[in-house]
Amino acid sequence: MRKPPVSSSAGSALRAWIGFALLVAAHFGVRPLVSGRVNVDFLVIAILFAAVRIRPGLAAVVGFAAGLAVDALAPGTFGAATLVMTGIAFGASWTKAVFFADHVALTGLFVFLGKWLFDIGYVVVGGSVHGVELVVLLLLWSTLSAALTAVVAIVLLTVFRPLYRPPTV
Amino acid sequence: MARSVRGGGRLDTGLVVACVALAVVALIMPQRNRDMVATALRRTVLSPLVALQNRAASVHAAIDGRHDVLVARGVAATQAIAAPGIADENATLRRLLGLASRLQDGFVAAEIVPTRDVDTDFTLTLNVGTSAGVMPFSPVVTADGLVGMVRDADAQSSFAITWAHPDFAVSAMSVNESAFGIVKPHLGTGAERWLLELRGVPFRAKLDTGTLIVSSGLGATYPRGIHIGTVLGEVATPEKWARTYLVKPSVLPAAIGPVLVLLPSRAARGVNGVWATLTSADSAARAVAAAGDSLARTAALDELAARRAALDSAVADSVARDTSALLVPVTRADSARADSVRRSRRPRSDSVRTLTVPPAAPVRVGPPPAGDA
Repeated sequence: MRKPPVSSSAGSALRAWIGFALLVAAHFGVRPLVSGRVNVDFLVIAILFAAVRIRPGLAAVVGFAAGLAVDALAPGTFGAATLVMTGIAFGASWTKAVFFADHVALTGLFVFLGKWLFDIGYVVVGGSVHGVELVVLLLLWSTLSAALTAVVAIVLLTVFRPLYRPPTV
Repeated sequence: MARSVRGGGRLDTGLVVACVALAVVALIMPQRNRDMVATALRRTVLSPLVALQNRAASVHAAIDGRHDVLVARGVAATQAIAAPGIADENATLRRLLGLASRLQDGFVAAEIVPTRDVDTDFTLTLNVGTSAGVMPFSPVVTADGLVGMVRDADAQSSFAITWAHPDFAVSAMSVNESAFGIVKPHLGTGAERWLLELRGVPFRAKLDTGTLIVSSGLGATYPRGIHIGTVLGEVATPEKWARTYLVKPSVLPAAIGPVLVLLPSRAARGVNGVWATLTSADSAARAVAAAGDSLARTAALDELAARRAALDSAVADSVARDTSALLVPVTRADSARADSVRRSRRPRSDSVRTLTVPPAAPVRVGPPPAGDA
C-alpha cells in the first residue's frame, strides 16, 4: 500500500527547512570562526538550496528576509544585500530546471555563480569600493570565496543528502 | 489549469516586485531610518542570530588567544621568543595595556567581530554593547590613536565607523595648537583611500611634514588629545583662504585589532596626557613588560632591601649611641631600624639624610620663667 503523497511531501519540506535553518545557523555561528579574506557563504548556499524547492515568488521573499538579516548585522550598506539576495533567490528558483539534473558538478557551478553574482551585486550596489580594489576584490577574493562556497555546497550535498537533495519531478 | 498557472505567475511577479521595491526603499532611505530598522531587527527577530554571532566571535578570539599562547610557549622553547610576529603582537597588547592603565577607568575593551570585510564598508562590529555601557558616539581608540566612533549599539554588540568611512569627521588641531581644522577621510583611489585630510586650516597656519594632529575636543564626541595622524603634506585645493593637509593616520587598517571604547563619562572627563608622549607610552610598556618578570624582580628587591636594612640599622645604631651621649630623647634604635627597613623597600636617594638627628634643645633645670605661665 502506498503512503499518501501529502505526508511524503510534508516530510520532504520539513527536511528542507531544517537544512535551511542549519545553514543559516552555520552562517552566523561557524563563519566567524573561520573568517578571512576568503569566506564560505552558508547563507547563499541556504538560499540556493531552498530556492530550487519553492516557487520564484516565495524564493524572492526568502531571499529578501535573508538579505535583510545580513544588512541588519552589517548596516554599513543597508539594503544592498537585501536587493541582491532577492534577485539571486528569484533567479535561482526561476532556473531550477538546471537542478533537476541532480548533477553534483552542475550544482557546484550553480553555487559558484550564485555566490559570485551576489558578491558582484553587493559590492556594486554598496558602492564603497572603486578602481583597482574593486577589480581585485571581484576577480580574486570573490572568485576564491565563490569557489570555496561551491566546494562546501558539494560536500554538504554529498554528506547530508537527505536534507539537501534536490526535489525530483 | 492554465488559469491557475497564470495566477501563480502573477503572484510570483507581484512578490518579487514587492521585495525589490522594499529593498530599494531600504537602500535609499536616510541613514537614521536605516539604523532604526536595523536596530529593531537586531533586537527582535535577529537577537538569537546576534547572540550566536557574538558567541562565535568570542570563541574565535579565545581560540586565537589560546593559539597565541601555544605558539608563544613553543617559540620560547625554541629560543624564538623574539619572532617578529609575536613581538609585534605583544607590543600591541602591551601598548593597549599601557593605554588602559593611563586611562584608569571609563573604558571597555572590545574584540572586533569579523563580519564583512572592513575594506568594503569601513565599519566595525564590536562584541560589546549597551550592557557594558557602550553608547552611540562613543570614541573607539587603540594605543596608537583614534579608530572611529560607535554609531549604533545593541545590548551585546555595537557598530562603529572607522576613520575611513565617508561619514567620519573629527575636529582636530596640531599638537602645538597652532592650527585647527576638520579631519575627514581622503576619498582618493587606491592606497590614497587610506589617508585623511585636515581641512579648513587657516591660511596663516602652515604645518610642517610630520606634525602630529590630535583631536581638539571641540564638539561632543571626541575628547581633546587623541592622536589622529601626522601631516604628510599640503594638498592643492581651489580654496585660497584655507589650507588642506594630507594626513597619515596613526591607526593603520591592518593594525586594528583589540580596541578600547571610551564610555561617555570618560570622554566627558577628557583624556589629556593619555596619548601625551611616546616616552610615556614606552615607559608604560616597559612597566608592563617588567611586571611579567615579577618573581625575579621581587627576589632582587628583597635582596636589595635586606642589604639596605642591614646598612641602615648599623647607621641607626651609631646615631643612637652618639645621641644618647647628649641626654636627648631620640628615636629608639628599633624603630629607626624598622623605619629604615620600610624605607628600603622604596629606595630613596636621600635615605641617609632621613637619619640626621635635629639639634637638641638645651635641658632646662629649675622652675619655669614667669613668661611661660
